Amino acid sequence: MADRIEEHPILGVVEKGRKVCFSFDGKEIEGYEGEPIAAALKAAGVMVHRYTQKEHKPRGIFCAIGRCTDCVMIVDGVPNVRTCITPLKEGMAVRTQYGVSDKAFEEQ
Amino acid sequence: MKRYDLIIVGAGPSGLSAAIEAAKKGLNVIVFDENEKPGGQLFKQIHKFFGSKEHRAKVRGFVIGRQLLEEAAEAGVTVKLNATVIGLYQDKEVVVKQGAGIKHYKADSVVIATGAAENMVLFPGWTLPGVIGAGAAQTMMNLHGILPGKKILMLGSGNVGLVVSFQLMQCGCEVVALVDAAPRVGGYGVHASKVARCGVPFYLSHTIVEAEGEEYVKGVTIAEVDDKFRFIPGTEKHFEVDTICMAVGLSPMSQLLKMAGAEMTDDPRRGGQVPVCDKYGRTSIPGVFAAGDVSGIEEASSAMIEGRMAGVIAAQFLGYIDKEELDKELAELDKALDGLRQGMFAPANRGKLIEKTEEGIDISSNLLKKGYVADDEIDRFPGVTHKKGIHPVIECTQNIPCNPCQDACPKKCISIGDNITSLPIAVYEGDCIGCGMCVASCSGQAIFLVDEDCGDGSATITIPYEFLPLPKEGTKGVALGRNGHVVCEAEVVSVRSATAFDKTHLLTMRVPKEYAMTARFFKEAEREVSR
Repeated sequence: MADRIEEHPILGVVEKGRKVCFSFDGKEIEGYEGEPIAAALKAAGVMVHRYTQKEHKPRGIFCAIGRCTDCVMIVDGVPNVRTCITPLKEGMAVRTQYGVSDKAFEEQ
Repeated sequence: MKRYDLIIVGAGPSGLSAAIEAAKKGLNVIVFDENEKPGGQLFKQIHKFFGSKEHRAKVRGFVIGRQLLEEAAEAGVTVKLNATVIGLYQDKEVVVKQGAGIKHYKADSVVIATGAAENMVLFPGWTLPGVIGAGAAQTMMNLHGILPGKKILMLGSGNVGLVVSFQLMQCGCEVVALVDAAPRVGGYGVHASKVARCGVPFYLSHTIVEAEGEEYVKGVTIAEVDDKFRFIPGTEKHFEVDTICMAVGLSPMSQLLKMAGAEMTDDPRRGGQVPVCDKYGRTSIPGVFAAGDVSGIEEASSAMIEGRMAGVIAAQFLGYIDKEELDKELAELDKALDGLRQGMFAPANRGKLIEKTEEGIDISSNLLKKGYVADDEIDRFPGVTHKKGIHPVIECTQNIPCNPCQDACPKKCISIGDNITSLPIAVYEGDCIGCGMCVASCSGQAIFLVDEDCGDGSATITIPYEFLPLPKEGTKGVALGRNGHVVCEAEVVSVRSATAFDKTHLLTMRVPKEYAMTARFFKEAEREVSR
């Protein structure tokens, strides 16, 4: 997990919850319980969270505090979940959101 | 419907401060905040704050956050988290979304301390993943321990852009450029200088032409702009980056006040739509008060004082204290707030070009254009003196309200005087003992201990150092100048760490003596990045 800060010069060793598995588009990924889903995805190198309904343009993390809704995804079957403020739980199924669906546009 | 004496919206620095003051006066207070954790943006602030002791100067933001939470708990304040206030109606009815439900509360007084939201600028590609707000970068790295990116371009040279650039480097990211469409650096010179000497080039009068990439950011092109902010053809510069970070100002989140029918005004100096209110935050609705960034963008330090003002004003509004006690408390808070609103960066000076310090010294033009004071400009500032033996060199060149350095020196070598914005001067009442307390206590990291001539052709320079890994005694490398360019070879002769330094390590390097007044940063040989 190269995108994680192991030790910070001011904040010290970053405290995390228990390591858990969850899935992203069916693939198994590891993250830490309680951290935002978006943080776990970012650490795993996932940049694109969704594609917009009309223009099919990619979106990812933008504000990281739950205001902008750019990072919404389908979590456990529920669309439009703000992943930057939703804590990660073991076994969560996180899927890329196409418009408001988890199916790619050509399959919709 | 539950009733409270005071409902506060927002558990950031101003909201918590208001809650503490009001609860101390006996009010039954509840604070609602939409976030999972209290503290607003304080827990993302890892730099030492400016000001004087009463403003909690030289304490890091996240530590102030912890102190506020402790004080709030002691005062018996209830903080309700994951609770979004979605309405403020007649007779102070407050509607709160908690989980999937909506609850109604009634208050006799309300403090709106909702803070501000980040601005953004639009350019082709700005919606690509990898274009983020500076706040997002802080949230990722300082709260969640995640690198926001590896190679980053920062847009915005205000204090947020400068501070976040430094923080990005502290957690191991490379900042390839700091860009601002304005012709001058917007934030404190000392913040700019600590970024510049690490080797980050500043591009003022430049802005982003385009972010490149199909799925996410792979590069960015910037270009120079003229005085009407039009691109100048042929000035394009390209950078390979994976992240573009925007720090282009904040706008008050004043929607609740507008909804409640408070008289509003559009005031660009205060950041946009703000309530019409007196200096204590009394809005046009009796019993509804505003505190912190929602009534005008400033700093966390002033937000905390405004919060305390709102807290005591609410107490007097409800009769918990009398007018006399209120006036006494406000007089003290007025003094504290006025102290912070002094100097070149005072709200009253926003947008003005200040060419001379209060002392009549020409401001470094290089500092405003490139982020660092040029070698031929530094000697004109009063903190920069030459002396035999070890002594402090104080590269503080703008009038900002900050004075921890004068209390830090046990030998009283540094003086600012009663005017908190005066430039510090080296007075040497006693001899400098090289303890380094001044170096560690300077929130702007602008003080160096220099021995210009050690007698063997070398000089030693002690610099504040807040990076990992910490170089060890004997580590060889290069010294960088104020502009971040290599000036000479250097060797670390000592690294001192102490609780009193609060995570600012004192790194002493030895350089040939002719570089005593130009070498200002150390880079390990093998970690040197080609520029």
